[in-house]
Amino acid sequence: ESVPIITNFKLAESLSSCRVLVVGAGGIGCELLKNLVLTGFKNIEVIDLDTIDVSNLNRQFLFQKKHVGKSKAQVAKESVLRFCPSANITAYHDSIMNPDYNVEFFRNFQLVMNALDNRAARNHVNRMCLAADIPLIESGTAGYLGQVTVIKKGQTECYECQPKPTQKTFPGCTIRNTPSEPIHCIVWAKYLYNQLFGEEDADQEVSPDTADPEAAWNPADAAARATASNKDGDIKRVSTKEWARSTGYDPVKLFNKLFKDDIMYLLTMDKLWKKRKAPLPLDWTEIHHLEFSQEEACGTGLKDQQVLGVQGYAQLFHRSVETLRSQLIEKGEGAELVWDKDDPPAMDFVTAAANLRMNVFSMNMKSRFDVKSMAGNIIPAIATTNAVIAGLIVLEALKTLNSEFDQCRTVNLQCCSFHTRHTVLKHELHHVLFYLVLFSICFSHLV
Amino acid sequence: MIDTIEKEDNIISEEEAAQYDRQIRLWGLDAQKRLRGSRVLLVGLRGLGAEVAKNLILAGVKGLTLLDHEQVTEESRRAQFLIPVDADGQNQAQASLERAQLLNPMVEVKADTDAVESKPDDFFFQFDAVCLTRCSKDLMVRVDQLCASRNIKVFCGDVYGYHGYMFSDLGQEHHYVEEKPKVVKGSNEANDGPEAKKPKVDPNETTMVKKTISFSSLKEALEVDWTNEKAKSSLKRTPTDYFLLQVLLKFRTDKGRDPQPDSFAEDSQLLLQIRDDVLETMGLSSELLPNTFVSYCFSEMAPVCAVVGGVLGQEIVKALSQRDAPHRNFFFFDGLKGSGVVDYFGSK
Repeated sequence: ESVPIITNFKLAESLSSCRVLVVGAGGIGCELLKNLVLTGFKNIEVIDLDTIDVSNLNRQFLFQKKHVGKSKAQVAKESVLRFCPSANITAYHDSIMNPDYNVEFFRNFQLVMNALDNRAARNHVNRMCLAADIPLIESGTAGYLGQVTVIKKGQTECYECQPKPTQKTFPGCTIRNTPSEPIHCIVWAKYLYNQLFGEEDADQEVSPDTADPEAAWNPADAAARATASNKDGDIKRVSTKEWARSTGYDPVKLFNKLFKDDIMYLLTMDKLWKKRKAPLPLDWTEIHHLEFSQEEACGTGLKDQQVLGVQGYAQLFHRSVETLRSQLIEKGEGAELVWDKDDPPAMDFVTAAANLRMNVFSMNMKSRFDVKSMAGNIIPAIATTNAVIAGLIVLEALKTLNSEFDQCRTVNLQCCSFHTRHTVLKHELHHVLFYLVLFSICFSHLV
Repeated sequence: MIDTIEKEDNIISEEEAAQYDRQIRLWGLDAQKRLRGSRVLLVGLRGLGAEVAKNLILAGVKGLTLLDHEQVTEESRRAQFLIPVDADGQNQAQASLERAQLLNPMVEVKADTDAVESKPDDFFFQFDAVCLTRCSKDLMVRVDQLCASRNIKVFCGDVYGYHGYMFSDLGQEHHYVEEKPKVVKGSNEANDGPEAKKPKVDPNETTMVKKTISFSSLKEALEVDWTNEKAKSSLKRTPTDYFLLQVLLKFRTDKGRDPQPDSFAEDSQLLLQIRDDVLETMGLSSELLPNTFVSYCFSEMAPVCAVVGGVLGQEIVKALSQRDAPHRNFFFFDGLKGSGVVDYFGSK
């Protein structure tokens, strides 16, 4: 004679009395807040350091166009209160990594749920929850895929137990001497932006690397190159920024140095080109004497998805350098710009410089749309994946709290198999499966 | 239905490009244009309906008609997030309209207060896809038969407590594309090591592969013959949620409503009785669906609505955009186990 869980008074009471923390009010966060209040959670605190952007509006449904620029946590709270005025929500427009949110703060809650998009914050919350001994539900989404994991001290692995793949980096000589993929050129262009307009970084050199081990014919040669690069080298001694300054950030001079002179220097390192296609230098004047290739009419595609020709990117380079130069001047002595994918001249600059370099190294050029994806590390995102994951989070939350409050029942994690991976991916499922969830959803296609 | 994208306005505005940026990067511009040319009918605006409405409006369909003849009650209002707190007594579709529209002003959202049973056949023909929630089995079968012949995509879905399902009928010939990585021939490198012979997959280039798939009607999907040997042998692998669905649809037909917590005792009894009847008619044992099911199919659990609504919403997007392999043809979700299963029932 069992009573339905939803009318289980013990659970209903505990839902309305317990306090939960939601870290993040973005894609997962909006869906999660909605699910929590509709399920009966009453005391919710939500924190997010970000403000609303128009690109959020395809999925972060608690926000409208009029809210662009405002605090996500704050607007999320207001929107939720409109359909559930009795909810007790506290919003923090802040970073969870702020020391104010110490272990004592975390101990206020019976449950913490992450709705984050970066590892640093996840690591931090993971440690705080371990220290406070509070259960944590971790989750993430990207495109069609998503994951939910429950982390409980002493019972499950924690977020940092398994090593996570690190951000991919490329060797310096690949970026500086022998790029073979568009991404190498894009990384180079971002380094170039910093060298010219932003904070100079010794690890972000853009000039030809004379000490490239691959360039040496024999060990003696390598040693000679290494010492030569330390001595009076025209290219190495003067920093890129100093050189640019000395020319007054002249776009044409900059163009010819980067895409002609430096390339011609690379060509002298002939061993590099024995088994690779050699780069082809560009010349500003020559480009503009070429038959002007008719660029395709915009037609039915997005403007940003057009791929321009060499002249187009040369023009874009010229324009963006001038604009960025003005920005620098406006900011005054010793000013540094910070690259941002949503800052049009910064994005223009990287698009142009990367494409010119791709052209030099005989790669197919890429549209601004594609360059932005790679340069800006944009992860495609939709509402439905977040909706599913946020639903699963709340179901896990109910299970977690149920076991916390019912002391009579032994905590049985078997049914939940928190640390067992469900690899129920039959080969057909690669197409059928859109939600990869640790232990939760298994898609089996039975015919 | 859109086979080519000539029909609708071919230019994507700056506003759309900015707002849909993150999804265009996932499913591409063509898919977004097809969505933008599609009209959808959504029947039933309770927990599941609101989720599907949200997902389709955010995706950017051309138009969404919200159809519901019922009135807002305290219970129905608390089940979803579109109805304002002072709307008790109003029509459910009407009450949901304003907040639904605010989700995305670029979509034409309309409310229709009629009962879906009263709609004539040609009412449905103005849509590219129809999504039925909280409908009787007979109505769903009728609409499915009507629409499939006209290449209108049909979807059904419900949430009962912790359980939920969705069904789709995309017709005899549903065409779609899948994006696959391009296989490139070996490069011209002089250094032809052993690696050079392998066909390389270029991570930067992809190609679109065209496919066609056929679906069963709802009628055939629900009237599987379990008495033959082949069906019996597949019984072990069959999700019990399929039988649960049959029971709940019968309850809905007999009582004109879904199981309610207020009448828990009476409704549980009836559910068990219906279970016995339904399984017996199919020539199956009652043990297939143990008594415990009764405890978990009352009311609509919000997180289950979110999961089923998410899957259902995405299936509608896939079907309208004709991109990516659709689930074929049922998706069952068990919120207690946290398991989701795709399975096929119906004509081969």
